[in-house]
Amino acid sequence: MKNIRRCIIFFVVLALLLGIGSAWISSRAQSMSKYVKGRSRTYTGIAAEPEGSVDMIVLGDSESYTSVSPLGIWADRGYSSYVCGQPGQKVQETYYMLRHALEKQSPKVVLMETNLMFRNPGFFGNIQTSLTEFLRYHMPVFRYHNLWKMLLDGRVPNDDYKGFTIRDGVKGCDSDKEKNYMKETTDKAEIPRTVHMYMEKIMDLCKKNGAELVLYSAPSPKNYNYKKHNAIEEYAGTKGLHYIDLNLKAKELGIDWKKDSYDRGDHLNLFGAQKVTAYLGKYIDEKYDMTDHRGDSVYQDWDRLAEKYLAELKKRIKN
Amino acid sequence: MSYDAILYIFVFLPVCLAAYQFTPRRHRWKVLLIFSWAFFFLLSRALLVYLIGATLLTYYTGIALAWLRTEETTEMAEADRSGKREIKLKYQRRRKKALALGVILLLAVLAYLKYYNFFVRSMDLIPDWISLPLTLEEKKLVMPVGISFYTLQAIGYMADVYWGKIAPEGKPGRMALFLGFFPQIMEGPICRYSDTAKTLFQGEPLKYQNLTDGYVRIFWGLFKKKIVADRLAVPVAAIFDNYTQYSGVLIAVGAVAYTIQLYMEFSGCMDIIIGSGKLFGVCLPENFRQPFCARSAAEFWRRWHITLGTWFKTYIFYPVSMSGIVKRWNQFGRKHLGKYATQLGVAAAALFPVWLCNGLWHGARWSYIFYGMYYFVLILAGEAVKPLRDKILSACHIHEESTGWRIVQTAKTWVIIFTGELFFRADGLKAGVHMFRSMFRDFGLSRLWDGSLLELGLARSDLAVAAAGCVVAAIVGHIMENNKNIPQKFAERPVAARWCVYYGLILAVIIFAAYGDGYQAVDMIYAGF
Repeated sequence: MKNIRRCIIFFVVLALLLGIGSAWISSRAQSMSKYVKGRSRTYTGIAAEPEGSVDMIVLGDSESYTSVSPLGIWADRGYSSYVCGQPGQKVQETYYMLRHALEKQSPKVVLMETNLMFRNPGFFGNIQTSLTEFLRYHMPVFRYHNLWKMLLDGRVPNDDYKGFTIRDGVKGCDSDKEKNYMKETTDKAEIPRTVHMYMEKIMDLCKKNGAELVLYSAPSPKNYNYKKHNAIEEYAGTKGLHYIDLNLKAKELGIDWKKDSYDRGDHLNLFGAQKVTAYLGKYIDEKYDMTDHRGDSVYQDWDRLAEKYLAELKKRIKN
Repeated sequence: MSYDAILYIFVFLPVCLAAYQFTPRRHRWKVLLIFSWAFFFLLSRALLVYLIGATLLTYYTGIALAWLRTEETTEMAEADRSGKREIKLKYQRRRKKALALGVILLLAVLAYLKYYNFFVRSMDLIPDWISLPLTLEEKKLVMPVGISFYTLQAIGYMADVYWGKIAPEGKPGRMALFLGFFPQIMEGPICRYSDTAKTLFQGEPLKYQNLTDGYVRIFWGLFKKKIVADRLAVPVAAIFDNYTQYSGVLIAVGAVAYTIQLYMEFSGCMDIIIGSGKLFGVCLPENFRQPFCARSAAEFWRRWHITLGTWFKTYIFYPVSMSGIVKRWNQFGRKHLGKYATQLGVAAAALFPVWLCNGLWHGARWSYIFYGMYYFVLILAGEAVKPLRDKILSACHIHEESTGWRIVQTAKTWVIIFTGELFFRADGLKAGVHMFRSMFRDFGLSRLWDGSLLELGLARSDLAVAAAGCVVAAIVGHIMENNKNIPQKFAERPVAARWCVYYGLILAVIIFAAYGDGYQAVDMIYAGF
């Protein structure tokens, strides 16, 4: 009995230590968000945005932050958005990222890139990721444990434009691949069970917070095919979600695979992202009647950052 | 699922502990077996059949050996004096055959899966004018996890039954648990049946002290692996994977860093493994005893991967030393060559197969064979020069135990260890030789402080944390070396002091371990052997 009491006290003290440490480190991470690198960067980035200021949250893996530019949308349409994408984001990460974003934000639209819906790290990988993300969400000390390192090294990562990073390199795509990758078929790719499970949670979260969940597939010959299109189209149909497959609209968007990719058709570069941003920005604006905040004193920072972004774009396009 | 994974420590182990505790004592070993096979299946899937096959073979060989011994005793009881010798010889031959069959079958599977492709590749070395009547092609072979470990364990068991040191295990399920116990299946330690069977099968209930000691040991292992070893993996890979770009002191840094990485990783995993066993009250043998305090290559191997060294000593070194041919050599040598040369000959005859097997056990590569032969030559040379060295020490009035001489010997041993590990880690023997030679070219000691180290992929802060981790591990090692039993010392401290250390250890792992942003998970090195 004495030992059981001892164990309980030990774990309570440990939980307290981790809880206090988590609260402290979260606030530090937010105030020092410019030093934060890697996967946690968007996590601190969205947390640093003023409460209720973001109209649209973009989720997904690298296909999301290479296809949608929030400042491009701002410049064209005037509504605010933030890309909470991470490299190789798994559906568990997407869910907790959204939960985290919704703690401070009440977006009208949650735009989710679909490439992650086919990611399956396997039985172990899924349990491990679910467990890790649960821990990281509830005990942020596990997420920001190496903040000390980022501060000590003192290196500030490249400019970040609300989750979008400018990549202006050009590495074109093989022409056969570009022509054939969306060959029509009735076959369907399989969406893993874990993805189904977490998608339900994501939909519930959006519903509770009054946000509309929209699925989109960024153009990518390397990652998409018609089987995947069929799978998501059917999924979206059953769940009553909007789905935009930009792979089928590549011509309409004017995507030139010789110029608009920076890694042979895996991801879009700046030029491809501008085309997708213009299309999606308009589509969402018209469909969900987004508010134009340009000139609003609360959004002064957005205006300033947009100026910097446009200047940077000009410079890059000139070069 | 590796031993340092969150899934293993916080899901697999607690579920297994709960299932174990809620099962009646006499069935607890069955719980351990189910979890062990589930663990193996999750890692190697259908290759579980290899483990089951090895288990059945080991079990029935043990049973056959015991049956032959019983038969011999029965026949001996009925025989007259002259017939006894004949019966003894007959059964000795039969037992030898049974043992040989078991050992050969086990080794055949290991040899096929581990060495077949190496053998095929090595056939290119045979000159064209020796035309062999067979053409072999490389195959895609997948090895079940831990085969190198459980095969040695199984052979050890069969030999012990053959020598009559232990009674054979009567239940195949228990044999399966002995060979496949989940904490040890991936990296050892290579256990002897007489050492672990009792605690493994007794189904001791979970105890507060065992749980505390076990989890502290696990976190200490995580400290070594995740804080030091996984960080050092980055510069080590940078140097060894691009060895042509480096020379001089940076190659030496690579060798030292790899040695520390290997020690921290292997001994760290061993702490997790031994700690996992301890949770269930199972005592697994230690595999390391402060190897960097060794004063010779031979002593190093008595402190490093102890269970492998003990296995080779017990099942190769002693049997070869006691074999007929060595005995005959001993008699011949003492008559014609003198004591010194005879003893050296005996040592060479017994050590050569030990070190050849040691090299080969690590993998099917010429660099591993070289690694084994490197230690064979060094240890034999140590034996050869011992009389001369003793004379010189005596003439110079240098005491064997003096601090100065100890430092010299330890430093010499470090050089031997680092050089050996350079060849061990290098991508093949050619690369090893290239790296060794380039260490003496353009040495450039100043590269240690001119920022060159920071170009190896580790930030200044990571280097500082890895160094601090090494200092902590060295202090703990120093205390252990001075015969201080740390767990026992701890138990004598007040609760508050103990808890401070526990919290410190847990928080150090959470804060400083190399996981999450900016780090890649590093595979366990010895699981690959």
